[in-house]
Amino acid sequence: MYVAVKGGEKAIDNAHALMREQRRGDTAIAELSVEQIKQQLPLAVDRVMNEGSVYDPELAALALKQASGDSVEAIFLLRAYRTTLPRFGYSEPVDTEQMQIERRISGTFKDLPGGQVLGSTYDYTHRLLDFALLAEGDSALSEPEQASNNMGVLQSDLSANNVGVPQFPSEARTETKTSDKLEACPRVLELLNQEGLIEQSRADGEEDITPRDLTRQPVNYPAERAVRLQNLIRGDEGFLLSLSYASMRGYGDSHPFAGEMRSGLVSVELVPEELGFPIEIGEVMLTECEMVNQFHGSKDQPPQFTRGYGIAMGRAERKAMSVALVERALRAEELGEAVNYPTQDQEFVLSHTDCVSANGFVSHLKLPHYVDFQSELEMIRRLRKAASEASAQPSEDKADTAGEKI
Amino acid sequence: MSSQLSSQLNKPATQTAGAEGYNFAYLDEQSKRMLRRAMLKAVAIPGYQVPFGGREMPLPHGWGTGGMQLTATVIGEADTLKVIDQGADDTTNAVSIRRFFAKTAGVETTEHTADASLIQTRHRIPERQLRNDQILIYQVPIPEPLRFIEPRETETRKMHALREYGAMQVKLYEDVARFGHIATSYDYPVMVNDRYMMDPSPIPKFDNPKMNQMPALQLFGAGFEKRIYAVPPYTKVMSLDFDDYPFEVQSWEESCSICGSDHSFLDEVIMDDAGNKMFVCSDTDYCRERVEQGFTAENPEGQQGLTPEPNQSQQERKTQDDTKAEEMAP
Amino acid sequence: MSVQVNSMNRGAVRSDLLMAGFDDAVQDAQKVFRKVLKAMSEPGTILTADLTDKTPGALNKSSWEIALTLFDADTKIWLSPTLAGDDVVVSNLRFHCQCPMVSEPAEADFALALADELPELKTLNWGNSEYPDQSTTLIVQVEAITNQVQDSDEGWCLTGPGIETERGLSAKGLPYSFRLDLVNSRKRFPLGVDCVFCADDQLVALPRSTEIKPSDNEDGIRNTTQQEAN
Repeated sequence: MYVAVKGGEKAIDNAHALMREQRRGDTAIAELSVEQIKQQLPLAVDRVMNEGSVYDPELAALALKQASGDSVEAIFLLRAYRTTLPRFGYSEPVDTEQMQIERRISGTFKDLPGGQVLGSTYDYTHRLLDFALLAEGDSALSEPEQASNNMGVLQSDLSANNVGVPQFPSEARTETKTSDKLEACPRVLELLNQEGLIEQSRADGEEDITPRDLTRQPVNYPAERAVRLQNLIRGDEGFLLSLSYASMRGYGDSHPFAGEMRSGLVSVELVPEELGFPIEIGEVMLTECEMVNQFHGSKDQPPQFTRGYGIAMGRAERKAMSVALVERALRAEELGEAVNYPTQDQEFVLSHTDCVSANGFVSHLKLPHYVDFQSELEMIRRLRKAASEASAQPSEDKADTAGEKI
Repeated sequence: MSSQLSSQLNKPATQTAGAEGYNFAYLDEQSKRMLRRAMLKAVAIPGYQVPFGGREMPLPHGWGTGGMQLTATVIGEADTLKVIDQGADDTTNAVSIRRFFAKTAGVETTEHTADASLIQTRHRIPERQLRNDQILIYQVPIPEPLRFIEPRETETRKMHALREYGAMQVKLYEDVARFGHIATSYDYPVMVNDRYMMDPSPIPKFDNPKMNQMPALQLFGAGFEKRIYAVPPYTKVMSLDFDDYPFEVQSWEESCSICGSDHSFLDEVIMDDAGNKMFVCSDTDYCRERVEQGFTAENPEGQQGLTPEPNQSQQERKTQDDTKAEEMAP
Repeated sequence: MSVQVNSMNRGAVRSDLLMAGFDDAVQDAQKVFRKVLKAMSEPGTILTADLTDKTPGALNKSSWEIALTLFDADTKIWLSPTLAGDDVVVSNLRFHCQCPMVSEPAEADFALALADELPELKTLNWGNSEYPDQSTTLIVQVEAITNQVQDSDEGWCLTGPGIETERGLSAKGLPYSFRLDLVNSRKRFPLGVDCVFCADDQLVALPRSTEIKPSDNEDGIRNTTQQEAN
């Protein structure tokens, strides 16, 4: 006699044991420490922090280790942990203008107050595999590359604690400042603002409102800008990158200039109820991007550039730029542009940015669907039977008489 | 200040039963309050989808996080929990979720429908008639019945607001025109209390009639879509249909190869390369119960006489104006 | 957090007025929630919430326990004048629930009122047609609640979701105009206000989905509603 399949519990236990074994790999090789991941895979850690919505490099590194390096799985681990954390309070808005600049570039002005600071970047590296890294040790890092061959590559002397000493040809000025003594570094877009060439970041008389927290409250459409930005910042980097790519290729009417990209440490302040004034509770590394976009004007208003804004935790330029581009595309409706493409469609974009949701829903197809499939089997057999009977004995189309009723 | 005073005035919360480092039933109290408030609104407006600030759960979205959030919010130490997936207690996802609550809430679990106070389900309603002291919690992937007709939430919100459901009628009608039948076999839309169109979650339409006038409270949770909806006990739930194409449920020529049941939802099992197949009850607890009562494939009438048909009492409860109920009877 | 705290209520919590909340914040809140859930899903069913020894000021046991269970920093609360004017009530609600207080009933997620201080029903938030859930839940402290309506001149006969056939309910002390407004509010479903009536340690709910017919004794409302229907 047939006996229903049993053994779910044991199968799960075994699957987990196998997974742990696979994650550890060959035990003859030293185990990777969380600290090593944090120190040596910092960009992976930053991505997990961003989409995991928790600023904690150590936990992000732990999640990466536990997830065998799968960033989506690691993001999920961090999110699930985050959701259980109590809220102690809400910080004051961070002031990125006061950022301790580690890197700052503008695509719109050759030189500007505060200067161009190239900092650390892969941008101008030649993508040649460095086989010296195969051997253990620091290899190429210790050898400064020749500026003549490698235009603009950072000559990094970390031992001297200089943050970014670029040897950048003519168009960029050399910055030699250390992080503790920087000249004022106003935002590029605010410089444009002095001439009224770009839209204000807030309208005259507009007050900041406390943004809705999308992790505590549901998103309703149309969503306000603060909610859209939160959503994008938590969004999947690959999805946003591709959307911004599409928006620049004509599916979104986007013609941006990178007004400014800056990264560095920003202090975080909190006002404790009992004190009534802000105190600094720490610093976070942030990357901020402001895009200058095509201008707008109307009968009442002279033409102005518009803005697209992106910010991300850690060193995450690709993310910050993608956010800024998609964010701008999503402003189409409020700026009176035609909404023709998915990149401009709030509901389409915001509903599908989240890698945890996307991954969950796609992978849920692996779950049993015996019952639904059985229902479909029964239905299709019935329809086929009816069809074969009908073709054997043609009759009137009964459908014509179907009446409506709820 | 608050936290100091708080610890003086409030005794510490129960931590004994839960997993170390986590609150009872995993979710923090603030999240539970938010969910509880949303749940009360869902109950007050039967069939209407209440948006809520969905929390991340430690299981993937689409794997029951909505149902789990509801269970975590409702469950208490006195509860006995049953979890089923495809009608069975022993499928991997059901096992995983049951273990989660055994671990984080320390509650009793059971595979017996009759012994459970809370039942979390994916894709089935148990065959056994549920009672008024039980709560049925559905895992819902897509809560919007109109979603595949209109993908925009802004539009479907309006359709619900105006009770404008013609698009669904058109869709079902197109089925009739093309196939001669309404071709929806699961996830079959219903009207709740004559007001809101509701997605019953991907249960087979076989289970739809069980929702009507069910004595148990039915709660629906969609995790990543962040929606809660509910059907209070004893509420009218009617499957959509047409006068001349009435709603009908699946039926099988076969009966269960284990307990001989000819009235339960059957799973098809492929036996060999030649495609030979057999049919067994999808509700494993119902099947077990029948076998214990002496029903077998060889003796489908049982040794101790028949137990009541699972939905018999439900049919009796229909109100006089519920003429549909008669048409719906299999 | 998007809640704007009303400045008028931003005074200090008076710690000398504080009293204990639940013995076990997690388990007790769960127990009370299940009562409220049952009450809301089976309108007219009277349940008991009796987990606290003392209550602040004029709050009765069931309304105090509902507050401890459902109010927090994300819910805006409107209190009827006597409650709003009582430091004991306000301090304890703010301490235990961290809930912001609002001065307009329309802004409130929850309105907590004594029966003789009820705001007009129309001044509460009824939600909107796309989001009817964004409405006020009204908690009213009444003298007594009972399912025995035969001898009552304030009785209702309830039908609708959650009620197998019909159920009698009488909540004593509600003003006539409020009862009238509540009956009439059903015409606007799914908009509406969900009510919980609290008497000592008892509670009963009347969500907007419940049809209310005055029981035979309540001529006033019956006549009036009939007139309106005509």
